[in-house]
Amino acid sequence: MKHAYLLVFFLLVLTAPSGAQDFDYGKITGSDFELKNTILDSNANAMVIREFGTSIMQLDDATHNLCIYFRYHVKLKIFNKNGFGSGNIVIPRSVYRDGEDEVSELIATTTNLVNGRPVKYELDKKNVFNEKKNKYYAVTKFTMPNLTEGSILEYSYSLKQPSIFNFRGWDFQSDIPKLYSEYVANIPALYNYNASLRGFKKLTSSKSEIKRECLRIQGGPYDCSQMTYIMKDIPAFIEEDYMTAASNFRSAIYYELSDYHMVNGGKKAVTKTWKDVDYELLSDKSFGDQMKKKDVFKDLLAGILKDASDSLSKAQAIYTYIAKNIKVTNEWGIFGESNIKKALETHSGSVKDINLALIACLSAAGLDAEALILSTRNNGTVNNLYPVLSDFNYVVAKLNIGDRSYLLDASQPRLPFGLLPLHCINGNGRAIPFKKPSYWYNIKASQKDFTMYALDAEITPEGKIKGKLTTTSSGYAALMKRERISQANSVDEFVEKLDEQMPAISILKHHIANVDSIEEALVEEYEIEMKAFDNMNLDQLFFNPFFIDRISKNPFNLNERTYPVDLGSLKEVRIISVIRLPDNFTVADKPKDFTMVLTDNGGKYQFKSAQEEKTLSYNQLFQLSKPIYGPDEYLGLKEFYSRIIQLQKTDVVIKKQSR
Amino acid sequence: MLKKLVLLTLLMPAINAFSQAQTDYNAENIPPELKSRASAVIRNMETTVDMHSPENVTLTVKKVVTILNKNGSNRAALALYYNKSTAIKSIKGVILNAFGMPERKFSQSDFADESAVSDYSLFEDDRLKRYTPNVSGYPYTVVYEYEIRFKQNLIIPDWYANPYADVAVEKSSYTFICKPEDQVRIKAHNFKGTPEETSSEKVLSRTWRVSNISAFKYEPYAPNPDSYLTYVKVAATQFSYYGHKGNYKNWEELGKWIYDDLLKTQQTLAPATAEEIKNLVKDIESEKDKVRKIYEYVQKKTRYISVQVGIGGFQPFPAMDVQRLSYGDCKALVNYTQSLLKAAGIASDYCVVNAGSLRVGMDPDFASMDQGNHIILCVPLKTDTIWLECTSQDTPFGYLGTFTDGRTVLACTESGGKLLRTPALNTAVNLLERKAVLTLDADGNITGKLQTDLRGSQYDNYNGLVHEPYTEQLKLLKKEYDIDNIDFNNFKLVQKKDDQPVTTETLELNIPNYAPKTNNRVYLIPNVFNKAAIIPEVKNRKLPVYINRGYTDVDEVVYNLPQKYAIEAKPDNKIIVSAFGSYSFNVKQEGDKLICNRRLILNNGTYPPEKYAELMRFFSDVSSYDNSKIILKTN
Repeated sequence: MKHAYLLVFFLLVLTAPSGAQDFDYGKITGSDFELKNTILDSNANAMVIREFGTSIMQLDDATHNLCIYFRYHVKLKIFNKNGFGSGNIVIPRSVYRDGEDEVSELIATTTNLVNGRPVKYELDKKNVFNEKKNKYYAVTKFTMPNLTEGSILEYSYSLKQPSIFNFRGWDFQSDIPKLYSEYVANIPALYNYNASLRGFKKLTSSKSEIKRECLRIQGGPYDCSQMTYIMKDIPAFIEEDYMTAASNFRSAIYYELSDYHMVNGGKKAVTKTWKDVDYELLSDKSFGDQMKKKDVFKDLLAGILKDASDSLSKAQAIYTYIAKNIKVTNEWGIFGESNIKKALETHSGSVKDINLALIACLSAAGLDAEALILSTRNNGTVNNLYPVLSDFNYVVAKLNIGDRSYLLDASQPRLPFGLLPLHCINGNGRAIPFKKPSYWYNIKASQKDFTMYALDAEITPEGKIKGKLTTTSSGYAALMKRERISQANSVDEFVEKLDEQMPAISILKHHIANVDSIEEALVEEYEIEMKAFDNMNLDQLFFNPFFIDRISKNPFNLNERTYPVDLGSLKEVRIISVIRLPDNFTVADKPKDFTMVLTDNGGKYQFKSAQEEKTLSYNQLFQLSKPIYGPDEYLGLKEFYSRIIQLQKTDVVIKKQSR
Repeated sequence: MLKKLVLLTLLMPAINAFSQAQTDYNAENIPPELKSRASAVIRNMETTVDMHSPENVTLTVKKVVTILNKNGSNRAALALYYNKSTAIKSIKGVILNAFGMPERKFSQSDFADESAVSDYSLFEDDRLKRYTPNVSGYPYTVVYEYEIRFKQNLIIPDWYANPYADVAVEKSSYTFICKPEDQVRIKAHNFKGTPEETSSEKVLSRTWRVSNISAFKYEPYAPNPDSYLTYVKVAATQFSYYGHKGNYKNWEELGKWIYDDLLKTQQTLAPATAEEIKNLVKDIESEKDKVRKIYEYVQKKTRYISVQVGIGGFQPFPAMDVQRLSYGDCKALVNYTQSLLKAAGIASDYCVVNAGSLRVGMDPDFASMDQGNHIILCVPLKTDTIWLECTSQDTPFGYLGTFTDGRTVLACTESGGKLLRTPALNTAVNLLERKAVLTLDADGNITGKLQTDLRGSQYDNYNGLVHEPYTEQLKLLKKEYDIDNIDFNNFKLVQKKDDQPVTTETLELNIPNYAPKTNNRVYLIPNVFNKAAIIPEVKNRKLPVYINRGYTDVDEVVYNLPQKYAIEAKPDNKIIVSAFGSYSFNVKQEGDKLICNRRLILNNGTYPPEKYAELMRFFSDVSSYDNSKIILKTN
């Protein structure tokens, strides 16, 4: 894919950044020392007092490449020793094929109040360490000297970034609160970036000014637009369970290059419209070209399709073939190099290789397949307003048969046809057809996370519960079990482990069906035995009927929630139980039938029981019917689980009958 | 923490002679008994260490491993560490299909190069090269051959015959080559037989061989793997390390070298600092209180930062630097504290320890440089010996905690190395005492107060929580007491840091709908706060049962019941006594009060394998009483 850093061939000359209002370095006042954490968050161990950043594009004198220069300056206060972590600084740097981000002009100072007077300790350059993490990523690390409770830390540095594709973004929110955060972006009018602001917190102020003649290119003057963003009193960002990427919620600004003017007066779009993106992706050597490589499968197709007649069974055969024949490496992404022919030959490829091969093969069989690019759950949601290609990090296949669509990811061989892995269920994806314009497509899990337990058992005169438990699972529930079975070298070892983990229950016999038939539900049959009563010679016995898939912990046990609860898929559990009592016993008391629903059809729980002669039957239904619950629904979920836990604490009372 | 000199022992792949007929590696030829429980089988592995000179030791590994299923794919991966004194000379390999036929080759260029520095560390110089073969379908075989050169012989690559439970070994060997006149000490553990020796005028070669070792099952409560695995370790008497030379045959000499070459020069203080310390303690009578004062001074002044610089990570940076920067790693902080104590006229010893919850001590029979990973300070006073953990700003004076308690450490002193033993935190000391007074109302809600005193190893139970802001503490407390609907008020954690440190938590709590009701029956699980977990069953237990650290938990919960509540059914009062410890549980009603007492004592120790079933039943019984229910009848 063509990246914007190709632009470095243009000769630009830029004047120094102007008008950016940095605060003075080294000016520590009495009021800094007097600051208490009660000003913003009495829980804070450290707090940013003021933070300033500015970015500008400039020409690197040495290489004549166009770079982004970023300056960062911060002053923060350590309230107590638990905040010392804020004195360990890591500056991440990108590494490119022909260079890397460079840090310079790094200064750092700790100021402590010693006997009522400020004393400064400067960072020694030899205590700054550079470390290349891997091919793509390096860091510069240092730690502030002489930290003590009440220290004021200040540091500043410049960072030269040789790629201008992503203009420097800015995180307003971090793990400590901030009193004042300001970012000034100077963007030459030759370039347009799409900016997106994320997070719940609003900007305190923002302004945009034209800086006249802020740069000269080959003698000609050009203007800059200078954008200033200010946010005050920013709370610390705290992650919660069951949420997708933190980046979806953290207050920050992101940029991506949209278009630029050439010095000769023309204009060139980089990612302006989806029409351009479609063209670019479809003509890309490592994307569209690979999707179109039908000929790779020319000789294979007859073999793959030999038992398939209609479109759906053809598609299934192809999906199975690709999933079996190309093993996934752990590379994701939509930009990397791709070669489906090589992937097929070496039996190894990235997610992209595998799914582009799938699309090519489906097309070769005359089916209507297109690429669907998306962003995984931990990568954040995509910008739906304009194309921000760097938001996307995953590609799957979208197959259309009649008016039905199937989303396919052949890189996960244990997924049934049409179900995407949970990490792909993340809002909108963009479908890229061969010939038509691209369009948004809302990605949903095509199957519920479903488990059904059927117990048919008896209470023996010795006080044991003995019987047969049949468990049927599909969707993500089946996927999870199949993964566990595969981790256990064999089905017998899986059952042995299962048995060992439940000392109270013995598994006498087992049979697991459809372990490898992933299109079918996974069916486990166990003959089980467990001790229920120590002493059967009592007149009255209590037993808890909720021993299967019991909910003993409330996953939503907190008092408040800031962000949505994102479960990704719908969930359903059914438990059907039949228990025969010993001859001389009858039911004296049992939990009452009970149904509850969550608001807005969000979920349902039902318990029903019946006694017929010597047989007690009771059924439970548990449904969570939405993939995402808003923060206002959190307490409802908490109550939902709590009521189930309460019910499951209650017993069935059986009584000896007098003869 | 001391730099982990990451040796290749656990990640030691590579090739058997490519030249031999590769049909040997048909996966079909693996004996069936080696396939049981195995996800990979080492077909042949030859590890050769050649000590050409103290500055030139080569490790050559040839390894052929067959991967039987997906779980084995990790065993196909190769990760080789390198740094300033360790160079990777060559790597090559080939992947064979199920029939042992070559499918493709790979070389150094296929390896990804990564930093091996841990995230918490400011500086280390380790890097690694990593390769994971991608092969579709099982089984397949990977053949590796690589050579690594070490510019030192202080730490010589050792050999574990079967380090992974899920990997069976058809054949593996370790050859150590040196000059006949070289003095080396060798420890071969769990090795039956004697090594093969060949010698000439120029070289002496010893080879240890094993064959047909089956994979085994992971077992809980297992002892330190070193006790049951087969390994060979070698230490050279004359050594060279980052330009330093020395010789040692035992702990005494090694400790002496560490003191003379690594520590002695680093202990100079600025005169002003020495003066400050003298003034600090000048009015204090007892030696012990002087040590305490200086320890508190260090705790207040410094913080722990991992910086592994200086002679391959073994030398602390100078005491003066710590004085100037107020931070250091474990070596630097211990060396600094020792220097301050010296200024006050108090002698102390720099001690190398293998830190971690599992108690692993220095091997008394075999001195070597790579057995420790942390440094602590021992202050021998006339009547008392004080142990100091210098990397923490909160640890009570003289308290080591589970990280370093109860094990043999190496004290590096001016007069030589000495093995010392740190005090152990054992069953009776590791005491939890909890008392809750609660009120149950007619709707099944519970409200009340709770106090817990934690001593010994349990002093640290709240380590993960104590430094968090209050709101975060309340959230974490919900994980500690993971009870549906529970809520807390006025949570307080007080840590008394005297000679017998105690952490005390007090809190108010309420649990709406804790005791549900049907008709006129109320279901109450009286033991709310402390429930032992069951442990898995292990059929055909092979390894001894090892309980690393015992403890004593004493819980009392008192309920005020609504009027006219009577017990309809309750669990029997129970006392279980076993070799592993004891358990008692009882519930009684006294008027409108219900009292539940629970006491669990677990003893540390090692027990024969067949005792595991008993331990499993013990926990299973404990768990069932912990979760037992009372049924109350309302009238």
